[in-house]
Amino acid sequence: MEANEILAKAESLRNNLSTGFRDEIVKSLYTEAEHIAKRAVKTTSDKKYDFDQKIDRLVTSPYTGLPIMLLLLGIIIWITVSGANVLSSAIAVVLFGIGDYGRALFNQIEMPWWITGFIWDGVYLGLAWVISVMLPPMMIFFPAFTFLEDLGYLPRVAFNLDWMFKKTGAHGKQSLTMAMGFGCNAAGVIATRVIDSPRERLIAILTNNFVPCNGRFPTLIMLATVFVAASFPPALTSFIAAGTVVGVVLIGVAFTFLASWILSRTVLKGEASAFTLELPPYRRPNVSRILYTSIIDRTIFVLWRAMQTAAPAGAIIWILANIPIGDSNLARAVADWLNPFGLLLGLDGVILLAYIIAIPANEIVVPTMMMVYIGAGMMINGPSSNSAIFDLLVNGNGWTILTAVNLMLFALLHNPCATTIMTIYKETKSVKWATLSVVMTLGTAFLVTFLTATIARLLGWA
Amino acid sequence: MTSLTWVFITALLLLVSTFLPRVGLLAIYKTYRAALEREQVEDALKHLLDREQHGRQASPESLAGTLNLQRSHAIRLIEDMEKQGLLESRGANLHLTTQGERWAIHIVRAHRLWERYLTDEARMPLEKIHGESERREHSFTEAQLDELDAALGHPTRDPHGDPIPTREGTLLKAEGMPLTAWQAEGPVQIVHLEDEPPLAFEQILAAGLRLGQTIRILDRNPQRYLLTDGETEYRLAPAVAANVSVAALPESETAKASAIPLAELTYDQRAEIVVLDEAVQGFTRRRFLDLGLTPGTMIYPELQNFFGDPRAYRVRGTLIALRKDQAAQIWVKPV
Repeated sequence: MEANEILAKAESLRNNLSTGFRDEIVKSLYTEAEHIAKRAVKTTSDKKYDFDQKIDRLVTSPYTGLPIMLLLLGIIIWITVSGANVLSSAIAVVLFGIGDYGRALFNQIEMPWWITGFIWDGVYLGLAWVISVMLPPMMIFFPAFTFLEDLGYLPRVAFNLDWMFKKTGAHGKQSLTMAMGFGCNAAGVIATRVIDSPRERLIAILTNNFVPCNGRFPTLIMLATVFVAASFPPALTSFIAAGTVVGVVLIGVAFTFLASWILSRTVLKGEASAFTLELPPYRRPNVSRILYTSIIDRTIFVLWRAMQTAAPAGAIIWILANIPIGDSNLARAVADWLNPFGLLLGLDGVILLAYIIAIPANEIVVPTMMMVYIGAGMMINGPSSNSAIFDLLVNGNGWTILTAVNLMLFALLHNPCATTIMTIYKETKSVKWATLSVVMTLGTAFLVTFLTATIARLLGWA
Repeated sequence: MTSLTWVFITALLLLVSTFLPRVGLLAIYKTYRAALEREQVEDALKHLLDREQHGRQASPESLAGTLNLQRSHAIRLIEDMEKQGLLESRGANLHLTTQGERWAIHIVRAHRLWERYLTDEARMPLEKIHGESERREHSFTEAQLDELDAALGHPTRDPHGDPIPTREGTLLKAEGMPLTAWQAEGPVQIVHLEDEPPLAFEQILAAGLRLGQTIRILDRNPQRYLLTDGETEYRLAPAVAANVSVAALPESETAKASAIPLAELTYDQRAEIVVLDEAVQGFTRRRFLDLGLTPGTMIYPELQNFFGDPRAYRVRGTLIALRKDQAAQIWVKPV
């Protein structure tokens, strides 16, 4: 037969095919697979299956499902908070000690003041801050979280929360991508590939930033410990701090639902689509692999990225702080200029300046803030204890509880970091969605902090 | 600087932004106009093809009516299209040339492929896909359509049951006949829902009828048609009923008769999958099949969410969660 004849014949046959022919193909594939499996696989006892079923009943039941979820989140955050506090101050003591030594050494060999300042008060101080603030929470959070991931618990969370996502027009697997967002929002955005409907995937991408990532956790932990937990007896501090962070995370989840609901009724109109989710059997986590992936792949990777932005940021802050303008310096001048807007949001100019400098990576917000507050030459060492930080912020720079609360809200809601924005652009291949992700989150952050600040002031709380 | 200099600079900027090639305002306007004209030509071609397929004549009046144009404008459009060799007027009637027909079929193909895509992959509600496809059908080349066709798995029918033309341009006639013309007794399957005019289509959807549904005609009189699917009764005005085409029941539908939707299976029941609903096509169907939800498979519910939706089912030794609306599309027989 001629090629054209064959094509014509195929074409005529195609239209006469019953619609179920694909079903038949797949069915025959499965029959064949079953046939092979029957010969090759032996099934023994059902003990493991029964045990899995018992756990599943427990973690998805109406009475215990949600409490278990909150409890696990609480435990992970509590371990992170209480462990991080101890480690952070230990690391800070060591690193700032090295800083003192280096500075003394440079003075001894009579280096020009600006080389000493640039290296030790700029680049080094930025690095020391990022490591002492970032490293401990990551070292604890990542392994704890990877443990849950390995166990096979996360799909159960998706199963439990799906009804909420269905109501907001989103996909149940969005809870998996949100869980990834705790580690890093850029990773969370990439993880949305598991959602196959384009509309629901976009919702998951755009709202992922409402989950505080590891770069923002230290800010939340520091504020929760220094401001909220400080007024409680010492025995309770770690619980109060962890509870506060859990509360902030839940506010973020609420905003995720709200934003998903609004998006699926405006720019991403549509109905909830097909949802299929496999609930794999539980597996015993492989401890050595957990340690390897969470320390090497995640912690070191994220820390290295933070250090790459922290070193130049430290340098920039030092330079800004050492260009004199009248009695003041450039950093102060910019912060003063931003101050009225910052106060309107219940924050201040330094915080906004820190957020602008921290666009490449959220991790350096706290270090930047501290370095500007401390200023050039005023105080050589970073405050390494919580009470010192409290003193610096409240007595030295006029912070109130409103500033702390609003900074927590701002840290939760503000725009994604540059890496995440780039990832959103790469995943959606659209400037429009990347822009929307920034406008939406920044708009929410401004609006919410403005409202809390205004309401608190009207009620005379601040 | 004097104010004269400012005026000069402003004027220069205005000139540049207006006349700059490709990105200037004028150029943008020209592109926009060209796209608009092309859309008009393509809509006219579709109208002519539609008339020809229904064995009716197209005239300048019918064209002006469908495209919502003034008569004089329609005449100008027809002259333009004649010059391009897309149509011929014989007396008061308009006919497509071979070239015109080819283009028209291309547009119909684009329209129906887009409808398929919007339903199966983007999962847009059925009443919205027609309007959305009307917007999208114009800006696609043949090669892009082939890509879309392949990505969708070479579907043969659009979600309304209309045949999708092949790339060679063969277009099958819609099967089935209008409900108003169906005389035989016994159950029938809805094979086509006409989406023009939109008002009648909305009424059909509002009544709850959908493509692939099995119905029985209970009563017909000049005021209304009374239909049932065994549970619900549907009432349609005869004018609306004429937009519903039906055909004799295929085999898969007879299998459904003794089955229940998976969503209705209780916790102490086990069942065998009979058939996946006709309404599940494209992505969702592939996903179901990939998960092993093939006819003949044993399945039973194992876990329930706090609010009863979704449920997790044990199938082929794995646990798979499905929302209620998906589980309602899988027909099973309790054993």
